[in-house]
Amino acid sequence: MILRVLLTRIVTAFLTLLAVSVIIFAAVDVLPGDIAARVIGRHATEEMKENYRKMRGLDRPVYERYGHWLLGAVQGDFGDSLVNDYRVTDIVWPKLKNTLFLAAYAFVIYIPLATILGSLGAVFREGPIDTGVSLATLIGLSIPEFVMGTFLLVVFALKLNAFPVLSVINMAEGFWDALRLMTLPAVTLAIAMAVYAIRMLRDNLIEVLDSEYIRMAILKGLPLHKVVLRHGLPNALIPSLNVTALNLAYLIGGVVVVEKVFAFPGIGTLLVDAVFHRDAPVIEAAALIISAVYIFANLIADLLTILLNPRLRTT
Amino acid sequence: MATTTYTSDQPTVPRVSSRWARIRRLPWPLVVGGFLLLIYVIIAITGGLWAPYPYDKIAAGKPFESPSVEHLFGTDQMGRDMFSRVVLGTPIVLFLALTSTLLAVTLGGLLGLLSGFVGGWFDGAMMRIFEVFISIPVIVFALLVITAAGLRLSGNFFVLIGVVALVYLPRTGRMTRAVTLDLVTRDYITVARARGESAWSIVRRELLPNATGVLLVEFGVRAGYAPILIGSLGFLGFGVQPPTPEWGLMISENRVALTAAPYTVLAPAIALSGLVISLNLFTDGVARVFGRQVRL
Repeated sequence: MILRVLLTRIVTAFLTLLAVSVIIFAAVDVLPGDIAARVIGRHATEEMKENYRKMRGLDRPVYERYGHWLLGAVQGDFGDSLVNDYRVTDIVWPKLKNTLFLAAYAFVIYIPLATILGSLGAVFREGPIDTGVSLATLIGLSIPEFVMGTFLLVVFALKLNAFPVLSVINMAEGFWDALRLMTLPAVTLAIAMAVYAIRMLRDNLIEVLDSEYIRMAILKGLPLHKVVLRHGLPNALIPSLNVTALNLAYLIGGVVVVEKVFAFPGIGTLLVDAVFHRDAPVIEAAALIISAVYIFANLIADLLTILLNPRLRTT
Repeated sequence: MATTTYTSDQPTVPRVSSRWARIRRLPWPLVVGGFLLLIYVIIAITGGLWAPYPYDKIAAGKPFESPSVEHLFGTDQMGRDMFSRVVLGTPIVLFLALTSTLLAVTLGGLLGLLSGFVGGWFDGAMMRIFEVFISIPVIVFALLVITAAGLRLSGNFFVLIGVVALVYLPRTGRMTRAVTLDLVTRDYITVARARGESAWSIVRRELLPNATGVLLVEFGVRAGYAPILIGSLGFLGFGVQPPTPEWGLMISENRVALTAAPYTVLAPAIALSGLVISLNLFTDGVARVFGRQVRL
């Protein structure tokens, strides 16, 4: 029974990705009009455009082009860049690795940040600490990532000189240097994720702390920190897990703007630059990969929720 | 968690007819947020009358002048008065954020209501379509729409409104549909069906009034995020084009001079964050009035 639920969900994810690939192909390859005229520029003659279309296979019908593109994409081949004739895969892969590294780093900062602040808010609820945390998360919610990143940049890179201004990690010397270069963008992303999670965790933990078994534990004479750590948090974390997985999905989208703030050579910067240069194959590849990561992060969130919540298993 | 619901007939509150007491009974986020929003709206409407310089007046002062009585927020790279630019940017940001959100919530809300009410294959198809669109991260989707519309049009207000509306439409639709599924089980809907009212009439006369609170809160939540999305697109260079004084674009333009002239970035950043904070507070207040918990 549960296996069927899980399987359905997995199949749905793949079908969704397939539909997303249609949208991406339509938005990038079909709707904007004549690629040949765009690439060759204003001096294009009919003959040049015709030759270019033949060379790129643009003279074939749309569905054939889509099929060709999709088949290639599945095998990791996204064609050649329109700007510099490199293979798109060779351009995208190193950037994707950088982004995943950045995302992992941001996630490692995010977990303790959200857990500690969320718990503090719940344990000292209605007190000055809770009010402070609430206010901070409200402000955090209202400051766009690119503004937050810019502020961190001013304070930590320009005034304190603690971190570099540009996160050009290609030039990093070794692992620790790379970490130092990535700290500011990672912190920006971690804060953006944490504000949601802190509010969720606080509410969930308050609900748990009000329950009978917690009161029992307190009456037994267990010290407060043990009650929270051993009985409170584990029970409050399960509902928050979904938020965390959704945050993981957010992370992969939010990375686009934050990377641009710090000139970080990741897939987000690549996508933005490709849109600027109208480099269709690179836009398609970057958009498809980001969406795929997003869809699978959501899939993992759902699977975990189903597995961890017995009540959901039957639905 | 316990939420206080504020209704007009709370028994504990003594009947005082003074206006002040009535305002004090409202949740504080509604009052504070509403007050701040009112200031933004007043600035947006009247700004053109008292802003000291036109937004594109080059060399109103020397480049990167520090804040002074003549230039309250200093001047930017081209010597344009930052105070005037921030003030005159207010109607643009408000207009873009509110129209795009209104469009998304109206269309998304209607489709969601219809989908939840009609049910069957229509509902199934609608939900699949919405889910596919939601499966693309917001900023990536926005960039795809801009690519499809053609870069030449990227500064166009209509395109920008369309982009933001398209991003929100499926999200609003799915949320409204979930609420509708709950509403259609109510007795008054059954009665309306029994009366033989048409689907459209039930949606309009029974469902819509009862979903107003939800849609209003949804509008607020989305409107609170719209300035961020518009600002982000401006920051990336795909939003409003220079020299239009959009705050995100201004932040991106002046970032190069961050250390030398931090106020040129701070002023639009605070204006933008302040607007989002007031919208979020206001929405939180509206949600409390309707007795709902809102997850900001």
